[in-house]
Amino acid sequence: MNLLTALARFFIFPGLLFAIPAAWLVLWIERKSVALLQQRIGPPFGQPFFDFVKLIGKSTPARPGVNGILMRAWPLIAVSASAGAVGLLPVLPTHGGFQGDLILLLALMEIPAICMIVAGFSSRSLFGEIGSAREAVLLVSYNLVFLLAAVSIAVSQHSFRLEALASATATPWRYLGLIAILICLPAKLHVNPFSLPNAEQEIYSGPMVEYAGFELALWQLSHGLEWIAGVGLVVTLAIPPSAHLWLDVAGVLFLGLLLVLAISIIAAATARLAIDTTVRFYWQCTLAFAVLAISTTLLMRLRS
Amino acid sequence: MKILGLLWKNLRRGVATLRFPEAPPMTDGFRGLVRFDPARCTGCAMCRFRCTARAITFNAAGKQFTWAYDPSQCTFCGRCVDGCKDHALTQDAECPPIYLSARALRTSYTLQRKTPPPKSQPAPAGTSAQSGESHE
Repeated sequence: MNLLTALARFFIFPGLLFAIPAAWLVLWIERKSVALLQQRIGPPFGQPFFDFVKLIGKSTPARPGVNGILMRAWPLIAVSASAGAVGLLPVLPTHGGFQGDLILLLALMEIPAICMIVAGFSSRSLFGEIGSAREAVLLVSYNLVFLLAAVSIAVSQHSFRLEALASATATPWRYLGLIAILICLPAKLHVNPFSLPNAEQEIYSGPMVEYAGFELALWQLSHGLEWIAGVGLVVTLAIPPSAHLWLDVAGVLFLGLLLVLAISIIAAATARLAIDTTVRFYWQCTLAFAVLAISTTLLMRLRS
Repeated sequence: MKILGLLWKNLRRGVATLRFPEAPPMTDGFRGLVRFDPARCTGCAMCRFRCTARAITFNAAGKQFTWAYDPSQCTFCGRCVDGCKDHALTQDAECPPIYLSARALRTSYTLQRKTPPPKSQPAPAGTSAQSGESHE
């Protein structure tokens, strides 16, 4: 991948120019579907975009005793990292990417969560610190499973290159790993039942409590881009490549929509879990699943 | 798994909420904006005394007094209406209109003070009062 291709992927497709409207669309679909399941009318089409514009127009109130530069830096880093992760997705059957870009993608997908943790502590708010502590524990809980699943997928195809993984014929072990990633997605996206770091009613959105205006708009955009990166990773690895580009595009869009709806239904159907229950869920129930995925993959590799 | 059945029922029943600016019909006894009838007011200032939200202000100067009402501060408790012996205050039975500035619905009246009517007689029509209404 040369510099021009990398820039085009970051800024145009599947990067910022494509991913930002897609992020608003996904956020709208999630909010609307949850609302319809709760017998509410829900937000009109394009509401996340209007929210973004409204927040841009609002000023940030003074926060005495808080480092303003740090507070402004975290959402910017989060948006950049999320956009970079989306830019790395192998959505086009081109020869982009580089050896080991899966590792970079996983690292970029972690940065927004880490930014959220430090933003909560930077805000010097009690609610922000509680939310950050919860986010840190949640990060440790689901990441073991998430990373094991990603590694199992990479090992099953003998490559850490996303393009190679997307174009290779999927094995059953890959789907085992993808299911483990899917179980981690609600926690990664902070939706119910794993919405405890940004619990609105308990801790006033946790790390976001001191944010307003343009900075809050950036956080919301980063959240939308995380949706695109997470769902996009699963979809691009789940759909086997076909001879027709339009068939691939239709498959990606259909499966992506299906995933967003499935996560929204889970969010509407469940209540927020406590932190100890969340940790137990990932470390006791789901970890066995991820270990099974990676051990089976390693065994199959040794046999071959 | 019962929750999934419940969600499915919700989806099939359709939405129960309304899109703004649609609103459900008001219930009986709904307390909306306070309306002032300058013809009935005697300037006793009981409404100002009873208004804990300080939405009603009352300034007396000589034989004149100014009564003002700021809905942006009003909690619509209705205590001013209950306490008005001259029945100069009433409340709307519908939602207040949407306003974009804090004092858009503020009303004020400057009136000539008059003596309250005897209790046995009904309140006068208020033709003698000179009232001036201004919206700020």
